[in-house]
Amino acid sequence: MEIDEVFELMKKTNRIKIDSIEITADEIVINIPHISPISIPQTPPIREGIRRIVSPEEPRIEIPEVDWEPPVEKYKGYIREVQFGRPKSEGGRGKVIKIGGQRALYRFEEVQPNPPVVTFDIFDMPMPGLPKPVREYFQDVMEDPVEWAKKCIREFNADMVTIHHISTDPKIKDTSPREAARLMEDLLQAVDVPFVIGGSGDPKKDPLVLEACAQVTEGERCLLASANLDLDYKRVADAAMRYDHNVLSWTIMDPNMARDLNRRLISHGLEGDRIVMDPTTCSLGYGIEFSINAMTRLRLAGLKGDELVNMPMSSGTTNAIGAREAWMAKPEWGDRRYRLPLWEITTGLTMLLCGVDLFMMLHPLSATVIKEFGRLLVSKPGKIEVSSDNYQWIKGLSVGDGNG
Amino acid sequence: MAKKISAMDIYKLLPKINCKKCGESSCMAFATKLQERKASLDQCPVLKSPKFEKNRKKLEELLSPPVKEVWFGYEDRKAILGGEEVMYRYELTFFNPTAIGVDISDKLPEEEIRRRAKFVEDFVFERTGEKLKLDFIALRNASDDPERFVRALEIIQENTKVPVALCSLNVESIERALDVVKSKPMVYAVTEQNFPEMMKMLISKKKKDKKDFAVVLSSSNIKTLKGMVKASLEHGIEDLVLDPHTTPENIMDTLDRFVMIRRSAIERGDKLLGYPILGLPINTYFYVLRGNNPIEQFVKELDKAAAMMEASAACAMLNRYADGIVIHGTEIWELMPILTLRQAIYTDPRKPQTVEPGLYPIGNPDENSPVIMTTNFSLTFYTVTGDFEKDGVTCWLLVMDTEGKAVDVAVAGGQYCGENAKKLIEETKIGEKVNHRIIILPGLAAPVRGDIEEKTGWTCVVGTRDSSQVGEFLRKNWNRILEEWRAKQGSGN
Repeated sequence: MEIDEVFELMKKTNRIKIDSIEITADEIVINIPHISPISIPQTPPIREGIRRIVSPEEPRIEIPEVDWEPPVEKYKGYIREVQFGRPKSEGGRGKVIKIGGQRALYRFEEVQPNPPVVTFDIFDMPMPGLPKPVREYFQDVMEDPVEWAKKCIREFNADMVTIHHISTDPKIKDTSPREAARLMEDLLQAVDVPFVIGGSGDPKKDPLVLEACAQVTEGERCLLASANLDLDYKRVADAAMRYDHNVLSWTIMDPNMARDLNRRLISHGLEGDRIVMDPTTCSLGYGIEFSINAMTRLRLAGLKGDELVNMPMSSGTTNAIGAREAWMAKPEWGDRRYRLPLWEITTGLTMLLCGVDLFMMLHPLSATVIKEFGRLLVSKPGKIEVSSDNYQWIKGLSVGDGNG
Repeated sequence: MAKKISAMDIYKLLPKINCKKCGESSCMAFATKLQERKASLDQCPVLKSPKFEKNRKKLEELLSPPVKEVWFGYEDRKAILGGEEVMYRYELTFFNPTAIGVDISDKLPEEEIRRRAKFVEDFVFERTGEKLKLDFIALRNASDDPERFVRALEIIQENTKVPVALCSLNVESIERALDVVKSKPMVYAVTEQNFPEMMKMLISKKKKDKKDFAVVLSSSNIKTLKGMVKASLEHGIEDLVLDPHTTPENIMDTLDRFVMIRRSAIERGDKLLGYPILGLPINTYFYVLRGNNPIEQFVKELDKAAAMMEASAACAMLNRYADGIVIHGTEIWELMPILTLRQAIYTDPRKPQTVEPGLYPIGNPDENSPVIMTTNFSLTFYTVTGDFEKDGVTCWLLVMDTEGKAVDVAVAGGQYCGENAKKLIEETKIGEKVNHRIIILPGLAAPVRGDIEEKTGWTCVVGTRDSSQVGEFLRKNWNRILEEWRAKQGSGN
């Protein structure tokens, strides 16, 4: 190709690519006129490894290397592990649940071995007073606690079930402890999850009811709810020891009181590994901050090595539903179908982050959310892949759905 | 653990002349107040003299909280973040309630931008005599167009006076917005990717144009964040907020980072991480809206599910040191639990949540009016009086000293009892104001009815479970209760 031809070609195309050429000449002058500037696609300047050229008087601002280590603490103590249920190999019905066993306060220090557990509240008699957003899930089974328990497990994935023997209250039906025990037997036959056994709240009757129920569930490692300073807690502890169960040690938001009751139970002969503490859960908006303080202090004291308060903790999260902001139908507060469970979720999540291991709950949606957070809580850091972009929210969803 | 500053450390640097000009009885008393953050150095005129300049500097250093307090917005309507001293609220108190921001997209029609901005400005949820509000607008550059971003900012500024966070990764958008913004904004965000360009622009705005703003530094790596802080401080940018990324797939990773940052600052004395933390529950909202709905079994509508999960993430963050959050959902049922939880967490545990026990006339009660007995827990008291007022209830309200506990808790704890009721009746001389001897108890106090009747000699009637039902209860029953009681008295005598 003659050199002129090359120039002709350049004029036409504005660019030319020459593979393997050899030029022999004494002197070459190449003039390339009329060629408009070619725009070179730029590599984005910020990709790693590529330096932008900056003038020396304007130094590039860089992120400097610094030292930092995750602030992991050493804890002298640990949280006891409590077991509910008995494995088939030991003659039980199958399902075994463990709670507690923490060796650190936070997940980044050491992931806790057991996920938080939700136990569904059921009652031994219909509860017409339950707010509609809850009742609608259980309306069809309220007449039959056995069906109620089954439904919690079948449809709502309950880890455990709490049966409240409300009807034993002398002011309600005064059902006998023997009858409560019969119901207990039916429940054991019907489902394979461990039980929390609750009375009616009558301090005279409850120990008798719990004792009768403990007897017929011998070896099933239920949780007897509860031992507290207002009733014959020794009788409850005796029932747990004789029939191989655990005890819920219930106090009112006072860490010292919790410690005192645990001490009494232990000195009565109950093993510390058979105690779960309930320092009282006040609903969101009705003193939850007191519960936050009590739970946090107890957990920290336990991890610091105080063996009288290093038990797993339980929360009566259902209390949240008693808050008017949860149950009351009030149009200016929005739809109760969402408001009620969210009130229970907020209460439960707060307790979860204060270290609570066992959640007594009522609304299946709230229970689902607590379990979801619990699943994440026991996931190893980095194990669940994160692919979402932290800045996507600035753009929103690109589709025209009003959220752009 | 970072060492605690004692009142004595502070006292040593004060003038020690007990001039009382600060309003305290002595320099030692003033030192104690300073240590509890109940007083400020400005109250001491002597410290302002040149002689004490050195001491004042030292005191400022000594008293600055391990988490810097950063504000943005207008002088008379600020969003204040950080300023925290402790890891757990029972150790002292938390100071600045988490600032809650609501996003506004610059792609919305102008009318919608105005409406949403007004909503944020005017929103109030009243609880226990406190007005709970939203704190800022997070204007996001969804269009990525500087023009639209600035226009949206102008609409917000013209119509409201709410603190604004300018949210864009586009340097030009932020630069243009900084030229027209009328308040001190929070800039979101300096990231690992845009760091040199964004910082350069911000430094120039600060130095050349004398612009004032807070800046969010963003990275999921805490070490990198710390490096970014160091670089910012070296260039004179000091009002910093940290965004350690909100990952909706696993919010626990995010919460871990919040705790690591806060613990580094407070317990390990790491000054470079002593800055407020920003959480983005809005990421959870959009994540669910894109179809990742973990509660599908119960809530099919994606926007409702998104709002529920966003509120859950927000509440988790409030429990883990978030000093600011950005949310998208604005349904009242979503905002109520977030605001209520914030109120609870930031209540000062040093102040008892109580009202004065005693006798409170509600309406215009006379000798035939009912006597109702509640507790001195402020929440109970305000709920009860609020309901009574709304329902036109006329009564004598006895407020028992239950050490600030709610009815059910006080019944279980033994403060709501016959002995205290007797004392209250004697002290208030309620017996001289009415011609009956009947007390109406809250439904939750039913278990102690016997005890109260026995100790006081008054007849107790168990009323409703909730104070909102009292009006109806009284309209239906009070006359009958009164007549029955009188008949009984008559027959007894």
